[in-house]
Amino acid sequence: MTQTMHSKLNNVHPFAHYAERILSGETLLPDTPENVIEVMGALDSYGIVLDFYSINLNHVADTQFLNLFPIFKYFDGEINPARMWRHFWHDRINYEYAEYTMKAMMWHGGGGLDAYLDTDEFRANCEAAIAAKIKYNPVLQVFHRVFPEFLIEQIRQLCYYSGLGQFWRVMSDIFTSLAARYRKGEIEHIAQIVEHVKDGLVADAARPITYSVNIGGKMYDILPASAGLTFLVDTAIPYVESIFFRGGPFLGTVSYNAQAQQISPDQSRFTYGALYADPLPIGGSGIPPTLLMQDMFRHMPDYMEEYYMQTVRQLGDVRVKICASFQRSMFCVTNAALVGLLPKGAGATEPDDIQANREFLMVWMDRLATSQLEAVQTNPLGSD
Amino acid sequence: MLSALLLIPLLGALFVSCWPSKLASRDAKRLSMIFLVVNLVVSLYLLIQFDLANVGMQFVESVPWLDELGLGYELGLDGLSLPLVIINSLLSLVAVYASDDDVRRPRLYYSLLLVITFAVAGAFVAQNLLLFFIFYELELIPLYLLIAIWGGAQRGYAATKFLIYTAISGILILASFLGLVWLSGAESFDYSSTMAYGLPWIQQAVLLAALLIGFGIKIPLFPLHTWLPDAHVQASTPISVLLAGVLLKLGTYGLFRFGVVTFSEVWVDLAPYLAWWAVASVLYGSLAAIAQTDMKKMVAYSSVGHMGYVLLAAASSNPLSFVGTVFQMVSHGFISALLFLVVGVVYKKTGTRDLKVLRGLLNPERGMPLIGSAMVLAVMASAGIPGMVGFISEFIVYRGSFVSFAPQTLLCLLGSGLTAVYFLLLVNRAFFGRLATSEDQAVEQDPVLPVVTLQDRLPALLLVGLLFVFGLSPSWMTRWIEPTTTAMYEAMPIKLELSSYSASEPLANASTDIATCSDGDCAL
Amino acid sequence: MMQSLIELSWLIPIYGFIGVILSLPWSTGMVQRTGSRPAVYINIFMTAIAFLHGTVVFMGIWNVGAVQLEVPWLQVADLSLSFDLDLSVLNLGVMELSTGLSLLAQIYGLGYMEKEWALARFFSLLGFFEGAVNGVLLSGSFFLAYFLLETLTLSTYLIVGFWYAQPLVVKAARDAFLTKRVGDILLLMGVLGLASWAGDLHYNEMYEWVKTADIGPLASSLLGLALIAGPTGKCAQFPLHLWLDEAMEGPSPASILRNSVVVTCGAYVLIKLQPIVVISPLALTALIAIGTTTAIGASLVSIAQVDLKRTLSYSTSAYIGLVFVAVGAEWPGVALGLLLTHAVAKALMFMSTGAIINNTSCQDMTELGGIGSRMPATTIAFVVGGAGLVGVLPLGGFWALQLGVDFLHREHPLLSGVFLLVNALTVFNLVRIFRLVFLGDPTPKTRRSPEANWLMATPMIGLSIFVLVLPVAFVRMSLLPPLRYWNPWVFGALILSGLIGLGLGCTVTLSHSLLRSTQRPMRVLQDLLANDFYTEQLYRVTVVFLVSQFSRIVSWFDRYVVDGAVNLVGMASLMSGEGLKYSISGQSQGYILTIVVGVSLLGFLMTWAMW
Repeated sequence: MTQTMHSKLNNVHPFAHYAERILSGETLLPDTPENVIEVMGALDSYGIVLDFYSINLNHVADTQFLNLFPIFKYFDGEINPARMWRHFWHDRINYEYAEYTMKAMMWHGGGGLDAYLDTDEFRANCEAAIAAKIKYNPVLQVFHRVFPEFLIEQIRQLCYYSGLGQFWRVMSDIFTSLAARYRKGEIEHIAQIVEHVKDGLVADAARPITYSVNIGGKMYDILPASAGLTFLVDTAIPYVESIFFRGGPFLGTVSYNAQAQQISPDQSRFTYGALYADPLPIGGSGIPPTLLMQDMFRHMPDYMEEYYMQTVRQLGDVRVKICASFQRSMFCVTNAALVGLLPKGAGATEPDDIQANREFLMVWMDRLATSQLEAVQTNPLGSD
Repeated sequence: MLSALLLIPLLGALFVSCWPSKLASRDAKRLSMIFLVVNLVVSLYLLIQFDLANVGMQFVESVPWLDELGLGYELGLDGLSLPLVIINSLLSLVAVYASDDDVRRPRLYYSLLLVITFAVAGAFVAQNLLLFFIFYELELIPLYLLIAIWGGAQRGYAATKFLIYTAISGILILASFLGLVWLSGAESFDYSSTMAYGLPWIQQAVLLAALLIGFGIKIPLFPLHTWLPDAHVQASTPISVLLAGVLLKLGTYGLFRFGVVTFSEVWVDLAPYLAWWAVASVLYGSLAAIAQTDMKKMVAYSSVGHMGYVLLAAASSNPLSFVGTVFQMVSHGFISALLFLVVGVVYKKTGTRDLKVLRGLLNPERGMPLIGSAMVLAVMASAGIPGMVGFISEFIVYRGSFVSFAPQTLLCLLGSGLTAVYFLLLVNRAFFGRLATSEDQAVEQDPVLPVVTLQDRLPALLLVGLLFVFGLSPSWMTRWIEPTTTAMYEAMPIKLELSSYSASEPLANASTDIATCSDGDCAL
Repeated sequence: MMQSLIELSWLIPIYGFIGVILSLPWSTGMVQRTGSRPAVYINIFMTAIAFLHGTVVFMGIWNVGAVQLEVPWLQVADLSLSFDLDLSVLNLGVMELSTGLSLLAQIYGLGYMEKEWALARFFSLLGFFEGAVNGVLLSGSFFLAYFLLETLTLSTYLIVGFWYAQPLVVKAARDAFLTKRVGDILLLMGVLGLASWAGDLHYNEMYEWVKTADIGPLASSLLGLALIAGPTGKCAQFPLHLWLDEAMEGPSPASILRNSVVVTCGAYVLIKLQPIVVISPLALTALIAIGTTTAIGASLVSIAQVDLKRTLSYSTSAYIGLVFVAVGAEWPGVALGLLLTHAVAKALMFMSTGAIINNTSCQDMTELGGIGSRMPATTIAFVVGGAGLVGVLPLGGFWALQLGVDFLHREHPLLSGVFLLVNALTVFNLVRIFRLVFLGDPTPKTRRSPEANWLMATPMIGLSIFVLVLPVAFVRMSLLPPLRYWNPWVFGALILSGLIGLGLGCTVTLSHSLLRSTQRPMRVLQDLLANDFYTEQLYRVTVVFLVSQFSRIVSWFDRYVVDGAVNLVGMASLMSGEGLKYSISGQSQGYILTIVVGVSLLGFLMTWAMW
């Protein structure tokens, strides 16, 4: 019954035309030269930043296993005075944002990774690793006895460090190769960007997600290959769900006051994600993505800087502008993911298949209804 | 030396207006600034040369002029006029610096500004009643023109209102001066504090009343204030800065200089009523400010309220309150100038001063965070937060007036509380929240405000610095003021009886431990 | 060495301000390419320096006895103001406590705010705050205390308003400022009275003055009431308590300080003023009335809250209410004991809540649960903090409460009942919170809650240990009453009240949905308490209404009566205004003409008058 309800409503759905665009091979983001610069500039710097993030997340997962005082976790093992000074001077990548994203992903859950963390098999893996790790640490042994979930929860978090690190490794490579193609002049349209990202996602879809740590010279499998966790379904889709769509409420714009009830008790109804976010407050207090924008600003390609220099405030409001560009690029990534996930494939020609694809898309259009999709349809520098 | 203070701006005005070739706006501004910088340097030189031990007039210049009119070129500087002269030099420079680079009719504009500097300086140093009056009136015309030509949409109305009010003020002051000279049988208009002694009470009262209303318009006091909000709203930012920072002080200066000691017999009798008048002015200004939605109007009404403190202090007639009188003038000069400057920047960048539409200007990327911070500090200074100059000047005023008129002082304190209310509304509405400059905005129309330049910020930051300097080290200000005001107090033949004053001698060798322990009370 | 460090003690409050100034390049956004963490490290470093300097001076003072440090500020006419510091063991001890808490809160804040970009501003504000609090606590001159208390009002405004783009924050900052400002203005009236009557604002001189003061009953009553008004606002006591609830919109590290250090600072000033407040019996009665009302009312309100931070903030008001009662009953020692034990315990509990909020993005207790076994540091902090707060033998809170009950029951048996009641209600509430948040099954929002990062966990564990060993310190410093003064009835009553609270808290049915009761009277009561006795609405229909109506009337009057009359009289002027306007749009000759006319008008006036 719901099926027929849907198809009737399709005609009046305000976002139906976006679904039609995807079905006809067009893109969610209008194909304009400005959009190409913005999206490429954003993805170019994002690729570089993700490379740093991914390396660090994997570093933490691999070398800081149950280290309760990970003072040098952001140093990637490179502990020397110069690096320390740069760290002190905050002349560095804001790895805190990667952790923030990791926590959001873990908190929202979803996908095979989340489900595996609640299995007995996982618990057994953990117990083995914990036993090895705290063999000579009576304090932690007591803690583990009194608070049995404490260390296991920490390992769950480490799994997300590792999972997100592996996910971003792939994404970083996709964006970096895309940027290289753009510099060679191979990319001129939004559709090409979408295509490139989609191909990258599809190519690595079945890449296994595993995690094992070395304790005292012995490897302990935490997420064994036998768990069958894969890139697309177990990290990419949960990532899109928790970061692009749900996100977390920003203290700088939303009140946590329980009586004010500004935050939904149901996380699945959260719309604080990257596709919904308002770029304007970026740079202010209580807006964590500012950290990402700052990192991207520090790795901004020249052509992007030239492009921004045409605006009224030039680099004065660069973080807001990067955020707006980033949002546009994330609609391209979403677009690529949707195309890649079409149940009957992008090249479907049978009317029934197209209808199935349409129904699949309409569900997503519902969710995009309150996103910034309408806002990114305008010319980026239009109002300047 | 004092003549230099008059000659420099006057020469500047002549230079700018008579520059032989075409004078671009930017060059006219630069030229005026050169003159005003020299002027400021000369003022500071006077400050250094000023002899604190000498309570009388210093740098006196006396040149006979129109003897038949009793008009002599009598100049002098004391601790009452010194801070005001320096503020005048400083804020004139600030006003010129803050003027638009592409102002229309630059020659006229800058020469008028320089004429104001000249006239105000003249009024502060004139020691001849008629000379004071001429300078007092002279400042009026350029200001009128500055509002009438470079003002907002209703500049004609506002300028005319200003002109008429101030003209009436001038007539009353002149009448009082004439009456004083005539009745006292003085040979000239040369001012001396003993002129009115021996006159019958009623004659003194009439003369003082004329002065009170005349200067009351200028200060302005309720209900003589209505020209001020209109003038401020229509005037451009630099003019508002000058108007609030310096020109209003002519009123309090005149009243304090020529009214208090000269007519002390009557002054002391009227003092309680004057204090009530101050209360009315303070509360009226503050309450009216709460209801405003135009930022500039709010600041203007706030001026009405805060100038009331000066009257309160002057009425209280004791050595401390007299220091407060001058200090409050200076501190109000800094604070109101800063407030108008900041409001001016907001208006320049957003095109509106309407508190119903402005939001979130503190936005660090697209708003004006530094200007917003200056605004927060300015309103906090105005609300009397310690560490800035508004607190200590008001504290001296209150402490001085409390011993004379406790109830009036306490009511005026409410004005301080109300200041916090309306200025907090202003900051909260315009600077907090999500950035917006018009009522209904779609997301894609997020405002991109023009960049706030160093030129916009510099004068505001300078004034913020001064707020802190004199707020943290008020003795740098009071040391100039105190000798003169004490001398003035001592010159009063009749002193106000203090209603509730019983300052005990500092207790010698008093030492008790706090939280005196008794029994087991010390034990936890 | 020691001598010079003692003489340099005026630096202790200054360190915080130095941090603020050094952080300016980052907090003003001048540094663009790199992040703002250096400002954080500078401020933490400055706080640590202040703490160390304080420790050394404390040890020095312990040996040589109290030292007065004269810092003259302003001498004008008969007014003499100074920033004198009174370096006594007590002042330094409280100062050390507050600086220590501030240091812990800043380290904690570095962890809590790690994803925050405006760190420089936040830590500058904390530095400013710390400097001002230290100055208040060390002040030997009431003027200095007043001076800094007012700057604390500004600092509260800016810290609560830290997330200034969030609408409820904007409202909270405004309310915090205005409510405190009401107290400040009244306090200023008191300061003026004291400055005029006593002539000197040093505490010691004022204490002497009070002994012989004769200013009449009205003046002394007003003075007493004015003096207690300031602390009433600062300590969030009825009827100026609303702001603390709203201030919970601010960042958690600031909430830690606000619920421990700020209220302590305000109440400490009250304790110092107590020998002066005795000038007015009315004020003492008012203190007891305010304290009792707040203690019981806020305890009840706190039980009806569903918000994790708010329920604890009301409990803060309640405890400081007890401090007010103790001061009103003239037992400053009791007040101090309560104040200090409360400060550390409450700081610990707020650290715990911050860790939960950071993990779950949620502070609604109905959506929390079952985090006890996953977050050991957080759980320990909450349990230890709670135990240290209420009457649990042998922790600090027990001794403070016990002392209060013991001393009060002699003269005011009812007031000792208030202590017991508040203890029972607080225990009940804490058990309720513990069951809701830490026990039970994990909820969707808590099913993934790993322990907070080490920067947050370390201060929690450190402070927990401090609370646990505090009784040992009491014994070492012989602060506990000697054994012969131990009153079994008092001990029994206190423990019994705690057990009643515990029993009720354990047995009462708690529903995660916390549905409103179906019985109407119960529901009305629930709503009344949950909405803080509708205080906000009460303000709205009284004070706010009055001020806004007055301002509207004045504005109307100004526009239509004052200005209207002027315009009516000035019809001619209007017309001439039109005339002038035309001339303005003309040539510059027009201006010259105007000026000439103006000047000749003047000349005419002058000559006319001469004749």
